[in-house]
Amino acid sequence: MDTWRQLKPLEWCKYVNKEVKVTAHEKQQHHGWVFTVDPVSASIVLVTFQEKGGTPTVRVVTGHAVQEVEVLQEGNEETAGRLRVIFTPPGAHTLGP
Amino acid sequence: PTTISASTETGTDSVEIGEEQRARSALRESFLRTLIAMTNKQVQFHMYERVKVEAKFGASDIDVLNFQVSELQTPIGVQKEALLRCQDVISYSFDL
Repeated sequence: MDTWRQLKPLEWCKYVNKEVKVTAHEKQQHHGWVFTVDPVSASIVLVTFQEKGGTPTVRVVTGHAVQEVEVLQEGNEETAGRLRVIFTPPGAHTLGP
Repeated sequence: PTTISASTETGTDSVEIGEEQRARSALRESFLRTLIAMTNKQVQFHMYERVKVEAKFGASDIDVLNFQVSELQTPIGVQKEALLRCQDVISYSFDL
């Protein structure tokens, strides 16, 4: 899916915090919650949470290898919060305009 | 050539450009946080031809064209320092 790389930032934003299935080159498939999409390389960052509070796993699929992205589940505030927390170092502030 | 340029459609008004820039910066900031989280971690790289290698992630250039890694474990031995071309990588993963 060459079109994945051609989407606009606002379109990539629609995938953030949702659970998706990404089909990449050689039919490799990955599930996870979308943390972000790099607007430069179109790489998609997926997070999977382990049962019983184990360490989350992060998988990044490079933009050029993404063939299809299918939304499995809409996001919710709880997951969005969990995603935010794991990547924000203690004491970091959100950058304002 | 892998860098994606900003929208250049004519007739896009400034409000839309502002929204797009906000979205772009939020997405980019999160991606940079991902790279920071990956620093000094063991990362598994899935390359083309079903090659899988593991290395300690060091840094990326701003266009995400190359990754600098250490202790790259290859089928012919361990490479102490290496650059991986991101074009050759399908995906990569690490534990937080």
